[in-house]
Amino acid sequence: MDLVELRRNDYTLEEVSQEVLVAFGDFFSDQCPTSLVRASQPLGFDQGLWDRLVEMGTTTMGLPESAGGDGAGMVELALVAEEFGRAIAPAPYIEHIVTSRALAAADNPALVEILAGAADGSRIVALASAPITPGAKQLVPAGAIAKDVLAFVGEDLVLFSVDTPFPHVANQGSTPLAWWDFDSVSQRTVIATGDEALRIYTRAHDERMVLTAAALVGMTEYALGLTVEFTKTRETMGVLIATLQGVAFPLTDIATNIAGARNIARKAAWYLDFSPDERPELPAIALVYASQTATHGTQQAAHLQGGLGFTVENDISMYFLRAKGWGSIAGDPNALLATIGDQVLASVK
Amino acid sequence: MDFGLVELSAEDRALQSEIRAFLAEIFTPDVFQHEHETGSGFNPKVYEALGARGWLYPELPVEQGGAGFTPVQKRIMELELIRQDARVMMMQGTSSLPMAAVRKYMDPAVADPILKECAAGRAVMCLGYSEPDGGSDIANAKVRAVQDGDMWTINGSKMWTTGAHISTYTFLITRTDPEAPKHKGITMILVPLKSEGVTIQAIRTFSGERTNIVYYEDVQVHDSMRVGGVNNGWTVLHGPLDEEHSIGLDMNGGLTDVSVGTGMCRVLGASMNEVASWAHKATGSKGQLLADDIRVRESLGAAMVDYEAGISTPGPMGRVKASDVLVKNAAALQDLVGTVGLLPMNTEGSIGNGDIEYAHRFAQGTATYGGTVEVFRTIIAQHVLGLPKAQLPGAKVFLAGKKK
Repeated sequence: MDLVELRRNDYTLEEVSQEVLVAFGDFFSDQCPTSLVRASQPLGFDQGLWDRLVEMGTTTMGLPESAGGDGAGMVELALVAEEFGRAIAPAPYIEHIVTSRALAAADNPALVEILAGAADGSRIVALASAPITPGAKQLVPAGAIAKDVLAFVGEDLVLFSVDTPFPHVANQGSTPLAWWDFDSVSQRTVIATGDEALRIYTRAHDERMVLTAAALVGMTEYALGLTVEFTKTRETMGVLIATLQGVAFPLTDIATNIAGARNIARKAAWYLDFSPDERPELPAIALVYASQTATHGTQQAAHLQGGLGFTVENDISMYFLRAKGWGSIAGDPNALLATIGDQVLASVK
Repeated sequence: MDFGLVELSAEDRALQSEIRAFLAEIFTPDVFQHEHETGSGFNPKVYEALGARGWLYPELPVEQGGAGFTPVQKRIMELELIRQDARVMMMQGTSSLPMAAVRKYMDPAVADPILKECAAGRAVMCLGYSEPDGGSDIANAKVRAVQDGDMWTINGSKMWTTGAHISTYTFLITRTDPEAPKHKGITMILVPLKSEGVTIQAIRTFSGERTNIVYYEDVQVHDSMRVGGVNNGWTVLHGPLDEEHSIGLDMNGGLTDVSVGTGMCRVLGASMNEVASWAHKATGSKGQLLADDIRVRESLGAAMVDYEAGISTPGPMGRVKASDVLVKNAAALQDLVGTVGLLPMNTEGSIGNGDIEYAHRFAQGTATYGGTVEVFRTIIAQHVLGLPKAQLPGAKVFLAGKKK
């Protein structure tokens, strides 16, 4: 790789992006207290919250204007994802947004009705994580609430539609996962084939990785905040535990990882918006690093509250469980490493 | 937000070519050999050649010995120097920290000729901060300066004064009021290292970089060399310290590294490139090309994730992250390539002429110099997380009467 490339390295948010961040930060802190997150367990979906997200324009902001949307880019969507993750909101924001955008990108007349339903939030859509292999069921993120799932089959990108979603399966992150038996789904719409299908599918996966990375950043930051407050009030042997390096230093490592993971997620979003053919490994890097950050950060944040951090009653438990529960939905961090390595290898050829 | 390639004007493109050609001319093989042997981070021929064009500190106005470069032009120069060899330019970076304080606080009649010599590449400055028993707690300085009329008498010793042996001046932290709380009794003095009573002794580090211990025995320095007010040294120090700590950086629209850690990460990036090139040629025990080997692909991927984290983490946090990822991955890359990873520069079969071997030694120093990663974690705890300060017994001591 080129270590001396003359590029800008500017993370300053535009004013309009700042506004998005603040607006959604306010929205989630008003509308999505942790009590609501708890109440939505184990399914991880709250219809009322979803309705309010739709009213807020969340389901249309990222659609192109031609599909009735506001044409927001990945940078804005990633900022929303950060706030969404901070609140660990029980709503299929990421799945629905990336799948809707993929459907819109296909620009297929057969999809007009479904796209309209996706835009007004009445029809939740989702993306399968791996190509369909006959005879094998697949765990589909948001598959317990989505009636339409986009999946790769052979050389085609196919939308599988059902009248009733498959039943929810309990999972560590309390997300609406379901085993989809794609063989049994007869209602199929081929939305793209060949290179175009691959392009749309790859893009949707990249977007899911970047938005998940951003969500994990917000999630970890909230968990860190809970523990920082705890250590400022808890004493041991006559001193606040926050003054102990054995407590303070691990907290600084979490903060450090968050700051880097946030910048990488935003940078990856920027590249998808403005320079999609360059740095194809960035979405994977963003997800891997955010996933490491969240797994380590929520574990340490829970641990630094001692036994109290290990209790179900403590909100930090919900964050700990979702760090893995959300992170591994978007991709296997280890499998992604090889593809990232391939880019390093290609860069010196 | 903007991560795009910088679009250069025709004028800047021409300047870039001119700089590239000029640097290729002055960075001769001798320069690299000299640096390898001395570890001084300095080369008089290179510095003077750059200084003659105003290119050593090109962002300075022409009348101060610079070239009046715009931020884009300055960035071009920085990157072109890195393309050649960042190691030789270490003292340029070090000097620039006290130069700003000298310009701000000293009488121009005294400061200007000194700064001109620096800009011309004929003089560099080093940092006389740490002491033998002090390490990173630099406010605890004990080197004593006593004023008598226009003259100061300085006694004591400083350690880790990198570049002292090739510097004209040291930016010295002195204790001028032992009765005051430690931050309020220090004064900054720019000490000419040719002064009588100064003894410089080499300390060799295993990265190859040379540093020094400097003894001051009844060293006489004129009061005009004082930088800032008497006992106001902590304020004077803050500008240079903050810059060294990547605090409050002017990001210049993204034309600056997000932290000092980026420089550390370039050593990791260079190693990754060398390992990748090696993997395209080397074969494993079954004859398979190592670039196709899953272990190589995953290890390079893991290094890349850490590299990206190192260059993307801002401010003081970036300094910690970069050192952490460099230490971890330099060792991991050495393991990945096997025994050839142990071969240094100028040996048969070394990878990237010793880059891999060097990175592991270099990495260790990054966790310490410029303030240890522990000092930085303390800064992050207080300034980023807002955690309360530890009440440590040495934090507020008065130095008077304290015998060591």
